Amino acid sequence: MIESISNLWSIPLLVIIPMLTAIIVNFLYDKAIKPIAISSAIIILIISIISPYGYHWFCGHPALNPETLTFTFNPNIFGYKLSLEFIFGPLQHIMIFISSLILLFCVILSTIGLTKHQGPYIALLFLLFMSSAIVIMVNDLYHLWIAVEIGSLIVVGIAAASGTSISHKAALKYGLFSAISGAGLAVSLALVLGLTGFSNISDAIMYLKQFGIGEMSTVLYIAFGFFVLSWMYAGGLAPIHPLKSEVYGASYPHGTALLQAQSKLMLVAIGIIMLRLFGMLPFVKEVMIFLSVITMMIGVIMALIQIDFRWIIAYLIISHSGFVTLGIGLGTQEGLIGGIFQAVNDIIYMTILLLCCEALFYFGGKTSTKEAYDIAKKSPFIATATILGAIAASGIPPFNGFQSEIILIQACLKEGLPEIAVLILMVSVTTFIALLRGIYRIFLKPPELQDQDNSNVDLPKVLIIGIIIFIILSIIIGIYPDIVLRFIIPVVKEVLSI
Amino acid sequence: MEELKGKRGIIALIALIIITIGLLSSLEKLTGRVNPGISEVYNALAYLVAPNNLATWVYDWRGFDTLIETAVIYVGGLVSALVIGRGVVQMKKCKQESPVTSKPLEFRVESLTVILEYLGIPAAILLISYGIMIVTGSSTSGGGGFQCGVIMTSAYLLAAILYGKNNPIKFGKRFIIGIGAIGLGGYALLGLPGYLATGYWQYNIGADVWSLVPSILHTIFGDPFRLSLILKEGVFYSTPGIVPLINIAEAFNVIGAIGLIYFAFLYGWSDEGE
Repeated sequence: MIESISNLWSIPLLVIIPMLTAIIVNFLYDKAIKPIAISSAIIILIISIISPYGYHWFCGHPALNPETLTFTFNPNIFGYKLSLEFIFGPLQHIMIFISSLILLFCVILSTIGLTKHQGPYIALLFLLFMSSAIVIMVNDLYHLWIAVEIGSLIVVGIAAASGTSISHKAALKYGLFSAISGAGLAVSLALVLGLTGFSNISDAIMYLKQFGIGEMSTVLYIAFGFFVLSWMYAGGLAPIHPLKSEVYGASYPHGTALLQAQSKLMLVAIGIIMLRLFGMLPFVKEVMIFLSVITMMIGVIMALIQIDFRWIIAYLIISHSGFVTLGIGLGTQEGLIGGIFQAVNDIIYMTILLLCCEALFYFGGKTSTKEAYDIAKKSPFIATATILGAIAASGIPPFNGFQSEIILIQACLKEGLPEIAVLILMVSVTTFIALLRGIYRIFLKPPELQDQDNSNVDLPKVLIIGIIIFIILSIIIGIYPDIVLRFIIPVVKEVLSI
Repeated sequence: MEELKGKRGIIALIALIIITIGLLSSLEKLTGRVNPGISEVYNALAYLVAPNNLATWVYDWRGFDTLIETAVIYVGGLVSALVIGRGVVQMKKCKQESPVTSKPLEFRVESLTVILEYLGIPAAILLISYGIMIVTGSSTSGGGGFQCGVIMTSAYLLAAILYGKNNPIKFGKRFIIGIGAIGLGGYALLGLPGYLATGYWQYNIGADVWSLVPSILHTIFGDPFRLSLILKEGVFYSTPGIVPLINIAEAFNVIGAIGLIYFAFLYGWSDEGE
């Protein structure tokens, strides 16, 4: 249960520490980046683990009780909030914990594996975490928009950081189109604000419930339309998927791990807000389900035709985003649980695959199935880990992907949508085929020329530790799903009760 | 624009028409029916903080919003410079394509007229002075840190355009990055006193609207900016508290961010000397 505290200590720290770290490492550029960045990432991880639940009303203004016209700092007493409200509950706990774990490994890998002058890049990693944390914690439409805006800009920076022509193209394309999405979210916010007068999401919903929308439903539909646009851009849903998949494919794999975590957080956060705000309108859920199904199918088909392992993963991330949004779009208890659980699982198993992909850079940087051969001989560990990651991503027990996909299938069957349940199965099988194709060519296929370099490569220990930790997490959640579900179920019940 | 030709272009056009019609009809429906909601409460309480209601909204009621918005400007500068070449990173262990670089702009100042040559510097100095005036009076006037930052960087750009690379207001890259760091870092840290005193990040302990802090803190952060408002109803005292300080931090941040973008585009980027 969320405690009735409106000044929870941890919430500002989860935003301010990454921001200050980003400022410092960007300024220092080279000197002392490593200890500062790693210690900050560890502190953030610790805060995300030990933080109690509660609210934070930024700037310390109370809520106004409309009946008694008195001000209160007690979040349990209803009132229209004057402050900007953030929530740290079970959902935020699990999501921010996983993101901060990925952040820690990303930061260490950057300081070890990248050339000098990493300051701006590491600053962007911290800012990306900050924007993700804000998106998942904030209960305010206006601030959500700002967080999505800053998140989009950071995505551009992370993609462009390698300085290659492909990454520049992907980054600038995404930057250009995300400006449209950001503007769309701003328009949506303006319409909801015009209708209700409140940017606090709970207050706006309360107002809509109390006073109804009457003839203004058209306005709410238009607001929903713009919200969907932003949801598509933020999460890379079809038909906008090429923009996001290009960003995933063009970034360094560890950066992509953090980017995909951010996308999943955005999909969950914005999806839940859409359900809460617009769920009462007819056809809203149908639109969400339709987009999800299209994304699942297009993503996996595109993954099948890729010849680069990075791009295979990039399109699979897109495809599996469809699982997340499908669950949320169903709007039922099982669907929501399955969707959010899938987001958590997806972040974990995609991180395994992306860290394995990062390892390929240490074997010469070739990730194309036409250029890289026989890596299994050079590193049986990476080959095994990649296969385990692929099994997890394909929803095969005892890994975590299985648990969330089975919940999603059950949710679809319960809603009378057996065709979508079959589609989930088909996407899972196709995921396995797409990954296995890449794995065979890169890890198992013997070299065509005999003069291939067979010298041993020392992989960074932290990379190996990271892969092992995420595999263990995947197996533990696969065997004991309650470890994660106990965080998700109360949130889903609360969302549905509203 | 090639991608918008053919079927895609037609689909995009139809989508644009639908969106435009939907948006216009929504705005028409909302005309005269916009719900004031929480803004009525904000306005009713505004007199307790800065005389400039806008400054109170932006830096007090919604002060944390503005911090993250300010961070957007900072990130904009960071990413723009990165695209030009600052902080481009490559994997140590593998060969990659050489980073895309962009050449600095060519400066041709030979054709500068005598009038521009002699008036350019005074104009730039006037712009800087105007920026300082705006930011120092931000809690009582309509201006603020953002405007100050934009005006000051305009002076920087003006000097660069008129006098070329060796202009009189040439800031070094470390200096510009440092200005931005002081700005955003300063703004973020101005939330700390309120956090330590009340548990609420960025509570304006100088204004102390809700009487949450000891009077000594209220005095320390409030008195330097206390104003007496002489109105026909009588004389009222109010203080914007930390709002003027936030405005100054905001100005630094904007100068740093926009200055960095100008610098990167004007001079290109070389990691030497960093």
